[in-house]
Amino acid sequence: MFQPHNSFDLLRVPIVGTLLRHKHSRTLLQIPLFLISLAMILHGLFGPQLAPQNLATTYTWVHFRGALVFVLLLAGNFFCLACPFMLVRNLARKFFRPVRNWPRSLRNKWLSLGLFVTLLFVYEWLDLWSSPWWTAWLIVAYFAGALLIDAVFKHATFCKFVCPIGQFNFVASTASPLEVAVRDHSVCTACATKDCIRGVREPAAPLVVIQRGCELALFQPRKVGNVDCTFCLDCVQACPHDNVGIMSRVPAGELTTDPMRSGLGIFSRRKDLAALVVVFTFGALLNAFGMVSPVYALESWVARVLGVSREFPVLGFVFGLFLVVEPLLLIGVAAWLTRVWGGSREAIVAVAVRYSYVLAPLGFGIWLAHYGFHFLTGLYTIVPVTLGALGMQPHWGTPGLAPNVVQVVEFGFVVLGLFGSLLVGYSIAMTEKAEHPSRIFTVWALVVMIMAAGAIWLMSQPMEMRAVSLGVG
Amino acid sequence: MQLCVEARAVARSSCLIALCFCIVFVHGCRRANETLSDLKLTHEVSPQPPRVGQVRVTLGLRDSSGKPVTRAGLSIEGYMTHPGMKPIAASVVESEPGRYVSVIDISMAGDWVFIVHIQLPGRVSMDRQFEIKGVLPA
Repeated sequence: MFQPHNSFDLLRVPIVGTLLRHKHSRTLLQIPLFLISLAMILHGLFGPQLAPQNLATTYTWVHFRGALVFVLLLAGNFFCLACPFMLVRNLARKFFRPVRNWPRSLRNKWLSLGLFVTLLFVYEWLDLWSSPWWTAWLIVAYFAGALLIDAVFKHATFCKFVCPIGQFNFVASTASPLEVAVRDHSVCTACATKDCIRGVREPAAPLVVIQRGCELALFQPRKVGNVDCTFCLDCVQACPHDNVGIMSRVPAGELTTDPMRSGLGIFSRRKDLAALVVVFTFGALLNAFGMVSPVYALESWVARVLGVSREFPVLGFVFGLFLVVEPLLLIGVAAWLTRVWGGSREAIVAVAVRYSYVLAPLGFGIWLAHYGFHFLTGLYTIVPVTLGALGMQPHWGTPGLAPNVVQVVEFGFVVLGLFGSLLVGYSIAMTEKAEHPSRIFTVWALVVMIMAAGAIWLMSQPMEMRAVSLGVG
Repeated sequence: MQLCVEARAVARSSCLIALCFCIVFVHGCRRANETLSDLKLTHEVSPQPPRVGQVRVTLGLRDSSGKPVTRAGLSIEGYMTHPGMKPIAASVVESEPGRYVSVIDISMAGDWVFIVHIQLPGRVSMDRQFEIKGVLPA
């Protein structure tokens, strides 16, 4: 829908396109990541318990997160394509065929949103970045979760409704330059089989699927954007007309319109999805806040006010403040102003839901800045840590780029995200049936500028890498 | 049927590769040094609270009878608790019998874990660990 007529198609690029179109391309990408995950689990459980010396912590919290956001920025959701959890799940499904459907009441993002918040909370509470043992168990939990959920429930239930990393990738990939999309819609109009969603069936036995269609219920001709797309390329394999590609498009363009989307419905009616975007964005600020000095002052103050010495309630308070109170206030006031000053005729909740998507590019910019910092400053630590894990003498040279250089890059990512959010906000406001669209844009531009200023302030603070009770007790 | 055969082949090769990986990494996970339980290492840090910059660490090394251990070769390696950072190294000198001093240049605020490599004359080497928590910005 958003790709221009002559879009770039990655699947038509020699070598890369051929490799990606290969029937076992996904498995070939998953196997190395599976082996690396296995090594991380073993090293996390049995290796040195000093985070900078351990594969589990170094790969997970420095390299994986950084590579993930850079691939999302420069290409698309290719990490879901290469997801090692799905390798194990796919192998298991050769032996166990799930028969149940995911409960209707859970077919939304609320559960995965809760798990995403839980993951952010546990990250701070258990200082996951400093604990190889806990990090290893987190990876094990992911494998177990994917295996268990998808052993019981049909389709890609884990990816669509459960996986917190998947939800992160779905929101972030709205700003990606590539998407899996139809090459020529007229071919789909004439298509009688709809294999991209149904799967390719055995001609003699129509109940036997020999090539899966989309397990995330995204019907290619009506698919819009990257949300819920794991880039699994099942649709590419299934399409009998070779009419699905990995096409270029305008990053974040999918957020500016509000059509009916296959497998998702209409964004402005999806409170769960809007809440996910809000938590994604405010969570980016919170996660970055956890690394700088002022967090300890805040936590000490909260501990004094609450009269507690344990970290759990203090963190709970801070999370409530950042992920509930602050968004409610900021978005609530903006939605109210959109109605009373901008003249929008929508209900206040509907306005809040519609404009929440404006935050996605900025949120992604903040995650990029944070994860990019660790990735770029610790880039080369992968060498000595791997050597150490292999029983060789590690030689610690330059760990990565200088922090003061990376700080400029951090600011750049935040500004890039801000720019994206402003464009999305402008596009939505200008198509709004309201008396003063420019006033509406001003309101939401202010919201994202306040948040971006907060992010810039955070990135300017001296970093403190702590792994103890954060100034409490 | 063909699909089943393919699946088993993929499963078999994956298991084999996984097993090889396990062997390599479990081998790599062996601890290099054994520690001696009868040796006591104490540490003092100044200034208090420690700040980014030069921090003086005084180490006390005594045997099980409380007698100072002299002429030991000590060196210190410091790690932040967050991965992705280069460790810092510092030399240690014996200032008086059983007391060793090191000046460490701490580069970032936060929590640090220090590993003291101890080489005793005529005995095996060993590692001891201590933490400096909550190093403040300069």
